[in-house]
Amino acid sequence: MSGGPYNYSYIFKYIIIGDMGVGKSCLLHQFTEKKFMADCPHTIGVEFGTRIIDVCGQKIKLQIWDTAGQERFRAVTRSYYRGAAGALMVYDITRRSTYNHLSSWLSDTRNLTNPSTVIFLIGNKCDLEAQRDVTYEEASKFAEENGLMFVEASAKTGDNVEEAFLETAKKIYQSIQDGRLDLNAAESGVQHKPSTPGRNNLSNDNQANKDNCSC
Amino acid sequence: MDTSDSECFESADEDIQSDEELPKKVFNKDCQNLLKPNPNYELEASETLCDPRTEESKITRQNDASIKLEIAVKGDNESKNSNKASHSSSETEDICQVTSKINTINVIDDSKPVLSRKENVEGDLCNIKQVEQETVKKSRSCAKTKLGSKISKDTVKFEITPEKKKSKVVEKEKLHKTENNIISSVQIVENEKLKVDNDDQNLWDDEELDWGTETKLESDAKHNISKDNTEEYKFQPSPSSNTPQFNPHIGKKSENQSDNWGAWGSWGVSVLSTATQSVSSITSQLTNVIETGLGAADPEELARIDREEKRELKESLGKECEQDIPSEAPSVGFGLGNLVKLVENTGNKVISGGLDTLETIGKKTMEVLQEGDPGLKKKRAFLKIEQNKPVLSQILREAKERAENERNISEEVYMKKMKNYETLFDDHHGLVHLEALELLSKQCEIKLRNLQNSLNGEQYTEFLETMDQIKELCELPDEEEEDQISILEIREKLKKAVTEMNVQISYDKLMTNWEESEVWLNALNMNICDEKELHQQAIETLAQLTSLAMEQFHKIGELLLIKDRRSTADEADSLVQVTTTLTALIGIAAAKFSEKLNSKICESTNKEISGLITNVFFEAANSSSYIQDALQLLIPVLQVGAV
Repeated sequence: MSGGPYNYSYIFKYIIIGDMGVGKSCLLHQFTEKKFMADCPHTIGVEFGTRIIDVCGQKIKLQIWDTAGQERFRAVTRSYYRGAAGALMVYDITRRSTYNHLSSWLSDTRNLTNPSTVIFLIGNKCDLEAQRDVTYEEASKFAEENGLMFVEASAKTGDNVEEAFLETAKKIYQSIQDGRLDLNAAESGVQHKPSTPGRNNLSNDNQANKDNCSC
Repeated sequence: MDTSDSECFESADEDIQSDEELPKKVFNKDCQNLLKPNPNYELEASETLCDPRTEESKITRQNDASIKLEIAVKGDNESKNSNKASHSSSETEDICQVTSKINTINVIDDSKPVLSRKENVEGDLCNIKQVEQETVKKSRSCAKTKLGSKISKDTVKFEITPEKKKSKVVEKEKLHKTENNIISSVQIVENEKLKVDNDDQNLWDDEELDWGTETKLESDAKHNISKDNTEEYKFQPSPSSNTPQFNPHIGKKSENQSDNWGAWGSWGVSVLSTATQSVSSITSQLTNVIETGLGAADPEELARIDREEKRELKESLGKECEQDIPSEAPSVGFGLGNLVKLVENTGNKVISGGLDTLETIGKKTMEVLQEGDPGLKKKRAFLKIEQNKPVLSQILREAKERAENERNISEEVYMKKMKNYETLFDDHHGLVHLEALELLSKQCEIKLRNLQNSLNGEQYTEFLETMDQIKELCELPDEEEEDQISILEIREKLKKAVTEMNVQISYDKLMTNWEESEVWLNALNMNICDEKELHQQAIETLAQLTSLAMEQFHKIGELLLIKDRRSTADEADSLVQVTTTLTALIGIAAAKFSEKLNSKICESTNKEISGLITNVFFEAANSSSYIQDALQLLIPVLQVGAV
């Protein structure tokens, strides 16, 4: 829940979007607490989760906005897209309707975020293979067509949950390194923590980390 | 040793050949030089001895190195020369030198027996002066190869010419002195070796040791002898410097010879160039041992070459001896022949014993060299490390500094985490809720502006009026005298406000949080509790309460926006109520903590505590302003509901 205050270099804002009941809050809970929340209440507006991760040797604080999937909050949650560096677009592989709504979520994301925002498509509940309603192939094709990263995950088992969050972070970090993502832009969704007192070797760290960056 | 050197020797040898008296003088010189084989060395030794700071080991190593070098280089030259098969009468000198050398070294190893043996030999030899002279002639006429098979006999005979008897005795004494010196030095060397052995074995394992080149040896020796400049003299291998020494036209012969010997002593640029095969075979063995030790060349290769050489020599010698001996025997006579044989045998013993000893010494020396010199390597490596050391130590220092910094930072961070209100506020998601509320508020503002832009005339004025009215509704009452509001009252007020707003939120969590803090405060043992801990708890409580307040304000905003039927006036009134109640709660909390802190002041009169109290009130004011800001952010949400 609460990591160290200044022991990270960046804050990435994530937003988790998708239809109600696809398991957005569960994915977040799995990622932050490494636990599965069986009876997750409806999210009101937006909830938050944070976790500090390590990307290429850089400590990055993920500030995750877990939005309400209920249609009535749609107008409210639209306010929260702004300044998201990463968008996790979730659907339920056992419910085709959630998959069908993806284009709507995608257009919202495209409209309300900046072009450098990394959009990651997550087909949740992949543990329920028997009830599968959306094939991996078609979702994969959809992701490819729209230039999205894609993975099937399970908030219940934790499969690919970590990967989805970390891959997004890596992509964002890469964008920063490439200069595609302007940190000074208000809506970049990335806050660079200015060198905190005594951490004047941050630039060196960056340099060093760039060298052994595996991403 | 390059070819230029050996060519040098050859030319020098030819020069020397031209003078018949040379062998004698060389011998004498040899003896003198055995006492002080190298002028430079002596100089060094004396210098080093004079230097009180110089360690014993230094001297030892110098001696050691110089002696070994002599041997090594000599062997090298001789073997090369023998390969070239340059025959000359100067072989006798060589033998003389070698013999004396051998004797010397023999003495080193086992002085008394050898001395006695030597005396015996001398005695025998004195008796056969004539034979000697004849043999000298013969041997000179003989092919050099012949001598090889009978090294000792001829050698010994040549040595003990009548004129040399006295000098021999003198030499013996000198040798005896030298022997003592060298014995002691060898002992020291051995001690040193042990020392070095213990020193550091890691570097000795270093495979990359290459002692083959003189330059390397030189440099190593230099390193070893702790940058002793005088050492450079000793190891000057420059052929150009040697060349003039071999010029027979320069100065007197004695000078010339001394130069030769000196050079021989230092670099083996000696008159030994046309060594006899016997000597060469001996020296080749030595060379083998030495060079193997030195790693000058592939030991196996050398050994193979030596073996081949020896075989060849034996074969050729065997033939020639067969041919020569018959012609020799009649001229000398049978009795003499026996004597010669006796001398030969004795000489053989002496020489072979000497050779064995020499070989042993050589091997031992090589061991020392190998083990001692890797020590040089080690030392060199050490010095090298020392060159790099600033870097290493700098790295370590930097690492230490970094560690210290990090510790300071972590402490700082810890303190910050413990004390910094903002951080705590962030940790409890107060900040992000405020941010989300801001986003909501902005969204509503945009909506209102769009609406405002679409309006005109009366509608526009009406719209603005409504907006202003809502703003007025949300104005907080001036500081009321509700200081004595109880927690229970606060709970009631909040509940009432939420009901009026008609949104499904609850301040239960917030109130529970405060009650827990209150319980903690009441249960606090003031005698144990540290004022800093108390202060920290105050800040933590304030941040937590404020975060929860933010969350609820945020939720209120979201819920108001999705509410079907809005009642802006009620909502505004309720929000004001919530805001004032929450600020009152913050005030109570701050007061309560301050009270506790104040009691600490009474106890210890610590001035720091007053600062802490001030800080608590400061952060309480901060909390209140956040709460009031949240209310301001909600105004557009209310306004949106009103239009």
